[in-house]
Amino acid sequence: MLAVLIAIAALTLGLVACGGGDSINGGDTESEEVKLEGKASGDLTISNWPLYIDKQTVPDFEKETGVSVKYIEDVNANEEFFAKMDPLLKQGESGGRSLFVVTDWMANKMHELGYLQNFDKSALPNFEKNLVANLREPAYDPKREFSAPWQSGMTGIIVRKDLAPDVKSICDLFDPQYKGKVEMLNELRDTVPLVMKCLGIDPTNASEEDWLKAIDKIESAANSGQIRRFTGNDYGGDLTSGNAVAVIGWSGDAVQLQADNPNIEWRMPTEGCILWSDNMVIPVGAPNPTAAEAFMNYVYDPKNQAQIEAYVNYVSPVENVKPILLKEEPEVAKNQLIFPDQSFTKNCTIQPSPTGEEEQNLNRAFNAVLNG
Amino acid sequence: MRRRVAPYFLLGPGAAWLLLFFVIPLYYLAKLSLNAGVFGSYEFSWHWENYSDALQLYDTQFVRSFVYAGLATLFALLLAYPLAYTIAFKAGRWRNVFLFAVVAPFFTTYLIRTLAWETILSDQSPVVSVLDFLGLAPEGHVLATGGAVVAGLTYNFLPFMVLPIYASLERIDARLIEAGKDLYASATQTFLRVTLPLSAPGVVAGTLLTFIPASGDYVNAQFLGSASNQMIGNVIQSLYLKQSDYPAAAALSFVLMAAILVLVLIYIRFAGSEALMGEEAV
Repeated sequence: MLAVLIAIAALTLGLVACGGGDSINGGDTESEEVKLEGKASGDLTISNWPLYIDKQTVPDFEKETGVSVKYIEDVNANEEFFAKMDPLLKQGESGGRSLFVVTDWMANKMHELGYLQNFDKSALPNFEKNLVANLREPAYDPKREFSAPWQSGMTGIIVRKDLAPDVKSICDLFDPQYKGKVEMLNELRDTVPLVMKCLGIDPTNASEEDWLKAIDKIESAANSGQIRRFTGNDYGGDLTSGNAVAVIGWSGDAVQLQADNPNIEWRMPTEGCILWSDNMVIPVGAPNPTAAEAFMNYVYDPKNQAQIEAYVNYVSPVENVKPILLKEEPEVAKNQLIFPDQSFTKNCTIQPSPTGEEEQNLNRAFNAVLNG
Repeated sequence: MRRRVAPYFLLGPGAAWLLLFFVIPLYYLAKLSLNAGVFGSYEFSWHWENYSDALQLYDTQFVRSFVYAGLATLFALLLAYPLAYTIAFKAGRWRNVFLFAVVAPFFTTYLIRTLAWETILSDQSPVVSVLDFLGLAPEGHVLATGGAVVAGLTYNFLPFMVLPIYASLERIDARLIEAGKDLYASATQTFLRVTLPLSAPGVVAGTLLTFIPASGDYVNAQFLGSASNQMIGNVIQSLYLKQSDYPAAAALSFVLMAAILVLVLIYIRFAGSEALMGEEAV
């Protein structure tokens, strides 16, 4: 038996030795363009967030193109998904997936690490034609070479209008009359840029110091007890029970919460909101990029997009969806949180995304606030 | 020869299990804790600063974790001992029913049990109105305070305290207690000189089973605490999943393990000797 134990130990050591020296760095690699092969066919595996598509779109796409789709809802948080995929992507593999959906900053990070392929736009006429104007030139991908928005959303204020009728701006969240009844998101890229706006700083071109200034303001509010706690989307429960009367939250949640409780209301901050998008990206080693682009092109057809939109209730990145929904689902089409006018979002900023060492420092500073 | 091999044979499966699922992951964790660099390009480089940073940046949360866990252990002990005593000596034929009641909460998941406290302690709840009336809620709310976190920890780990104490009380030979009375000891004296020492092993086991997991807990602080009540588990969790700072998270995990080990060794050094005396008395 001792021999067996020794054998196991030896085996283990071997394993450990094999696992050593695992680190490569992407840096600023130029991404390669995907290689398309004729008409879309074969298998396609897509990773997306839960509850982010209706039940009909995938079968319809399969029927129209003959592609067989494996649609997995395994993206629950950008960081977690990255941690899962990183070891594979490092080896130039995508775990069989041809399409991911990740938030702007994560798409940017994956691109910087050389984990993404550029699109071949010749297969994406709908995307070229129908992408909404305000999402065409994000700072991290000015030509939309490797990221195509799946859905967008706004980060702003959600209030109990019976308990906090006067909260209209981010600065109002710091009003002592709401002490202990205010909650903010535990997301660096949502909460801090909004507070920057209250300080009169434009988050788009903010320096590390600007970020830290806003983090300081949040910290003193947390220490004074002004901010009750930092949440994920569990702020919904606190709003419903009245534990919180004004929170920083997401527009898609607001649609749902308002429908369930007439006292809950979205407030577009007077300073403006943060606009973010989750994006389709094609990772390195993606098995069937032809089918992946066919799917992207398919969802950028306003007719197909309308079907997704009616179910998802976030903001559609596709033009001309509203007229279709006005006929089919007028309530969805008239909702400012789903089809915001340009005047509604005029002060909003595309979610900024610090990188590298700056990101690490800001994360550390913000984390220190979250954990008191 | 046969006799020498037998113990290894019996140890084998357990040892292999431990090696595969504890020692090897621990090795990787140790290696990760010495990585340097930024998210996406961590590299192994004997980066001991991760450890000094962990201690420097998060000393408040360490102290807070041990204070909360210590308080929760103390309250759990104060609640559990009388309860275990009653079940062991006074419950009669209801004993199994009471024991079941102690274990029953485990039929619900830990997370749901903690979330239930969010409702119990919600700002509009009668419990909070009463506490407020008694002046026990100085901030006007109970949720999102350290008190709520300690209460949640106490509640969640109470069964771990009750069961070992019950087990050691239940094993006590009733004749020893009778002997105490025969020798003209008062009820209090009998309890203090016979029952309590004999149950000390259960108390030591219970406090360890409560204190150790409570120190590393993050669920209670996350749902019942505010930003000023977060524990070291929350820091590790957010370092790993939010900041993706894996080396720092790994280093912090090691520091936590070491700190708990030291505290527990000190505790066993003092309390443990008493427990041993209790056994000698048998």
